[in-house]
Amino acid sequence: MRRRDFIKNAAATMAMSLPFLGRAAAPFRLGLTPVFLDNDALIIDRLRSSVSAAMGESAVLIQRRTYQEITAMLLEGSVEAAWNCGFPYLQHQDRLTLIGVPQWRGRPLYQSYLITGASDTAKSLADLKGGTHAFSDPDSNSGYLVTASDLARAGSTPVEFFARTIYTYGHRNVVRSVAGGLTRSGSVDGYVWETLAQVEPSLTQRTRVVVRSEWMGFPPFAARKDRATSESVRRFATVLKSLDASDVGREILELLYLDKIVEGEESLFDSIKIRMADLPERR
Amino acid sequence: MIRKAWQEWPVTLRVAIATGALMVLLGLIASQQVLSTLSSLQNERLREVAQSHVGGLKVALGSFVLHRDVWEVYDALDRAGSEGAGARILFSAVADDRGRVLASSDPTRAPIDLEFEALLSDAVPVQEVTASEGRKSVRIVEPLFVQGREVGSLLTELDVSDLLAQRRSTSLALLAANSVATLLLALTGYWIVARLLSPVELLTGQMGASGVAPQQIPAEDIARTDPAFAPLLHNFNSMIDAIDAQREAERRLADRERFVSLGRLSSSLAHEINNPLGGLLNAADTIRTYSDRPDVVRNSAYILDRGLKHLRDVSRAILEENRRDRSNALLSFEDFDDLKILFEPEANRHGQQLDWNVDFEHSPACTIPSAPIRQIVLNLLLNASSAAGKGGRVGFVAHAKSSGLDLKVTDNGPGLSEHARQRLLSETLLEPGGGVGLRLVRELVGEMGGEIALERIGDLTSILVHLPKHAPDQ
Repeated sequence: MRRRDFIKNAAATMAMSLPFLGRAAAPFRLGLTPVFLDNDALIIDRLRSSVSAAMGESAVLIQRRTYQEITAMLLEGSVEAAWNCGFPYLQHQDRLTLIGVPQWRGRPLYQSYLITGASDTAKSLADLKGGTHAFSDPDSNSGYLVTASDLARAGSTPVEFFARTIYTYGHRNVVRSVAGGLTRSGSVDGYVWETLAQVEPSLTQRTRVVVRSEWMGFPPFAARKDRATSESVRRFATVLKSLDASDVGREILELLYLDKIVEGEESLFDSIKIRMADLPERR
Repeated sequence: MIRKAWQEWPVTLRVAIATGALMVLLGLIASQQVLSTLSSLQNERLREVAQSHVGGLKVALGSFVLHRDVWEVYDALDRAGSEGAGARILFSAVADDRGRVLASSDPTRAPIDLEFEALLSDAVPVQEVTASEGRKSVRIVEPLFVQGREVGSLLTELDVSDLLAQRRSTSLALLAANSVATLLLALTGYWIVARLLSPVELLTGQMGASGVAPQQIPAEDIARTDPAFAPLLHNFNSMIDAIDAQREAERRLADRERFVSLGRLSSSLAHEINNPLGGLLNAADTIRTYSDRPDVVRNSAYILDRGLKHLRDVSRAILEENRRDRSNALLSFEDFDDLKILFEPEANRHGQQLDWNVDFEHSPACTIPSAPIRQIVLNLLLNASSAAGKGGRVGFVAHAKSSGLDLKVTDNGPGLSEHARQRLLSETLLEPGGGVGLRLVRELVGEMGGEIALERIGDLTSILVHLPKHAPDQ
């Protein structure tokens, strides 16, 4: 119940915030992916309908299953901005620009968690060799890149190291996969895991964090560079960064368990860059 | 034993019980039929439920299985099992076209890549699903098709305990209702049959048990019964009247027969009295003529005394025969002396040889009344005498033992005719006549609990009578 509230309230809050930027002539289109939020079709539908209701004809929320699809839409101009992941942002850094980075627990940073079942005795990634593993998305930093680069540093690949790997296209699904025993281990967004630990402890209690990665830049809001100066994108960026200044905005942030949205610097994502360097085929 | 007890019950009760038993049998057959129909209906319902669950999953899973998308298959199974209607799904697993598990709702039980075959024990296609007693779940295996191509298989374990519980409660309710209906039918059947058979029961009751004389059915009882039975009951009453009349006739005949034997003896006894009379008159005349001669007078007085004593004995025996008939005197040795006195003149008249042998080894006879024994012996002797004919032989043996009294009357006549034999040995109703009081002999022996036997050895016919020490009527 609390998880649903979290998602629903987040959606509603997002919708309420959009009228600030809903005055432009063309509808403002924000890309979202269930990888970060949730992939429950019913909840996504509620999110879409409540956002549409709040935005009128001036804003549209566009959902896609994968980061790749949202990134492609952002690049081709189907959406004006997207809440994406640091990894695809860096992959297309030449064409994209940051318009805001969420700040969580005082810093615009988060970690990737390597998790297993609560009763599993593994103490490190090496102990999970030969098991099944759940990634969230091949373009996710915390849900793929961190573990894949760790394995690369050890001279292996996920396909070689694990008996089988699956993609769940949702950080919560990674936790479900490990908690339900479908896979022995999983790579998950530390922010999502910690949030779930508060809103849905029965799920996270069935998992255990084996390894926490270094701190890395929080999944940012990004826009295409050539559109960054447009009126709508600038207004959207302004609204994002002033959320903590209004009651409605604070409510949104509170529901998302975020402090605020900050300007963010490119250097926040350096640690991701380093990992990308270990996976030359994914740069 | 049970059969005997059953036969002793009133016919109404037996017919009603039989009717009730048939009703119960009918109820059982009907219940069996209904339960069978119920079972097939519930199996159909179970198949519908299974079909709807499996059908939904098949549609949801098809493309995921085609792409071997482990997570989506797991997600679909997990959601199907955890959401409202899915509460019935206990377990499900999906295999790809290689027969390996892609995902299951319980990965600890069926992990990825497990041989699917290992999970399939007891699993049947959805159309073959039946709810068998004692099993709370059914296992269904169905192929998964995408665009006509088989891409994998689905195994689902459905919880059917509610359906089975419903089936059980319906069965119990049905059985209870059937039991009540059967009981009502049996009771109604009993009531109707009892009413229909009441004249029969009335008739049976009035006929009486063995040894008890049938009774007339009162007119008011006949009036109350079914008119169709009234003629039967009236006929029964008429039959009772006829039987009573017959008994009365027989009783009178027996009474008459008592005097027949004395009548038969009268001429012999008259001679027995008449013969000494000549001697006695001569003796009286001699006394008158030779009154002065004491030796002659003494001799004549002796003759007179002997003759008068003989007459006294004969008259005493005759009187005794009549008097004893009405007394309760018990049998004694002297009774046989009387019998000899009564019968001997008859034997002599026919020039017959009489062998008389009375042996009182014990005196059990003291428990036996004398009158019927005298009647029995006299009748049998008269029959023997008339059978033996002129110059024949008649024998009599009486042997008193500790167990009772044996009598044997023998003659060398031609033997008993069939008619006489029936009178002596059977209960068959017969016209009077044919032997002197043989039916009376049979009745008297019967009353005292005795037995009669007939034998013929050489030219001798013997009638043997055994009388127990304690006669039932005594």
